[in-house]
Amino acid sequence: MFLQLQEVRKSFVAPEGTVSEILDVPSFSIDKSEHVALIGSSGSGKTTLLHVIAGIVRADSGRVLICTTGTDVIDLTTLSEAQCDRFRGQSIGYVFQTHHLLPGFSALDNVLLGMSFTGRKPDKAWAQHLLGEVGLTSRMHHVPAKLSVGQQQRVAVARALANRPRLVLADEPTGSLDQTNANQVLGLMCRLCKEAETALLIVTHDRAIANSLARVVDLADINRAGGG
Amino acid sequence: MSFLQLLFKQAQQRSLSTLLTILSVMLGVTLAVVVMVVNREAERLLVQSDFGYDMLVGPKGSELTLVLNTVYGIGTAQGTIPYAVFEDLSGRQRQFVRWAVPFAVGDSYKGFRIIATTPTFLGVDDTGAKLPEGRAFQYRAGRQLELASGTAFHPRKFQAVIGADVATEANCKIGDDIWLEHGGNADDVHKERWKVVGILKPTGTAIDRACYIPLITSYAIPEHESFLDAAAKLGGKAASTPAASAPAASASSATTQVAASDADDDIDLNAMSPYTIREDGQIALRVPKSKWRVSGIFVRSRGGYQFGMLTWNIRNTPTAMSASPAGVMREFFNTFLKNSAYALLGLAILVSIVAAVSILVSIYNSVAARRREIAILRALGATRYRILSLITVEAALIGAIGGALGLIMGHAVAGVAANIAKDQLGETVGVFNIGSVEVAYIGGVILIAALAGLVPALKAYSTSVADNLVA
Repeated sequence: MFLQLQEVRKSFVAPEGTVSEILDVPSFSIDKSEHVALIGSSGSGKTTLLHVIAGIVRADSGRVLICTTGTDVIDLTTLSEAQCDRFRGQSIGYVFQTHHLLPGFSALDNVLLGMSFTGRKPDKAWAQHLLGEVGLTSRMHHVPAKLSVGQQQRVAVARALANRPRLVLADEPTGSLDQTNANQVLGLMCRLCKEAETALLIVTHDRAIANSLARVVDLADINRAGGG
Repeated sequence: MSFLQLLFKQAQQRSLSTLLTILSVMLGVTLAVVVMVVNREAERLLVQSDFGYDMLVGPKGSELTLVLNTVYGIGTAQGTIPYAVFEDLSGRQRQFVRWAVPFAVGDSYKGFRIIATTPTFLGVDDTGAKLPEGRAFQYRAGRQLELASGTAFHPRKFQAVIGADVATEANCKIGDDIWLEHGGNADDVHKERWKVVGILKPTGTAIDRACYIPLITSYAIPEHESFLDAAAKLGGKAASTPAASAPAASASSATTQVAASDADDDIDLNAMSPYTIREDGQIALRVPKSKWRVSGIFVRSRGGYQFGMLTWNIRNTPTAMSASPAGVMREFFNTFLKNSAYALLGLAILVSIVAAVSILVSIYNSVAARRREIAILRALGATRYRILSLITVEAALIGAIGGALGLIMGHAVAGVAANIAKDQLGETVGVFNIGSVEVAYIGGVILIAALAGLVPALKAYSTSVADNLVA
């Protein structure tokens, strides 16, 4: 077991004051190096679940256990916010639906940025290697505005893998891409994660994309709250 | 990517906004620095306490005019006093006086003041031998005039020693002849010529912008002698109230008083020469000492008690008064300049605060526009503290760069003002000295900039990652 969620609950207070429960996940786990697709309808709590796993959003209750080196396990919910941020920077890669690259930074700088908050020295050669892996060697000094949407998302994939994470979380990574680019980005992500023996959790509402991964989990099956 | 690289990239991304903010800080700091430098240097210049002389003796009238005219060459002298006052100081009142040097002013050479004085002014006696320390004129405490080249003038010859600025600006060198332009009028030149025998080392004071001739030679000018004669004819009236005797009241000195008094008497200026030249080349003056007059006397008293006694004695004479240059200038500065300096400083601080607010507005707006970027940085592992530091240090850096540029600009602007002061007063202004107040001020600017950055930084600090990563 690499990642395990136990009795994770998360609610939000709506502007009018009503409390709506988004997540109530009794159990969910991912094995080491496993590639999992999480499907669900829009508003079902997929992104919130990823945020909880990444420590971006705190669960109201429950445990988010992640295996670190060897047999050590940490519970993200017990870490302080700063510890959580640091852990995310060191161990988790994140690919957003839109690329979320910094506009003033070149492709290479954006990848290096992924290494900037790990407490380790940025590895420029590794960043260049990753950009080569996603086919952007000749474009690594271009700013995002000079890249196509597909190229931007490939930079985002390289950035997510920059700190050699143990887990990559991808939130609708192909949502803004055409079919060709979507297949290309998905293929890249899977290949690179496999080579690095990194666990991959992709959230999508696209059944076809989900089916290309080893395991498909429907959020409705694991979430008793049933979304917002 | 290091913290500084990240900072630089962020600022570069908004280069125009960053540059404009730096510019506004720079202008604010420039203004403040100019005010501080001018204030400091004006105070140093006008309220110097290290005069080599502690008393100026001159005709009764305004103490301020006497000091301004004598020390800085500003305005015109307000009349003359009998040479007998000097004789009294070096005779009867000798117990109170360390040294005294008489001088007469009024004419000029190519715009530079002519000062007639004794060799003591140049640190030598009448034979040209160096005077022991404590007996020679000092323009600043412990500092005597020194010759860069040549010798001191002979007290009874038509010789001159010129200030350093006269040598360079009037292209005057040893062996050249200089002449006296009557009352500063270039078309009205006395016929006598003085040979330049020495050039003074620069002093950074008004001394550099004057020519020095023997006192006796100023009495050898027929027009001057005729004035003395005329003044003597006026008798007790001139002697008792020289400042009030019509020509002296508006003229600058014995020299200029002549022109004014010409209309009042019937003396033929060309009728006789006031001197003859002896075989050894020295002047034999026909004008008796009783008719000599001087514009003033530099005096160094022997101490506090002696200073008080001298002041009392001189003020009780009918013709002369004394003034303490340091005291007069302090009073002048405090009365007329200090409040306006404070007002200017207040204005400069206000401008600096406006500049700080511009940092706040600029960074606050940029944070509002960068919320998504901040959320991305947070998602990549940047802690809230890291984001807070990034924004605050960015603001402090803008303050520091703007402050440093403002400091340079301020001193450059003050340098222009210093050149004007140098031309007009002869005083060297230390515009490139950075005072502790300026250092504290720049520190304050950086602190205020950092505080201004703290407001948007706290906004960034509280940015919700999840909310700003949507879409």
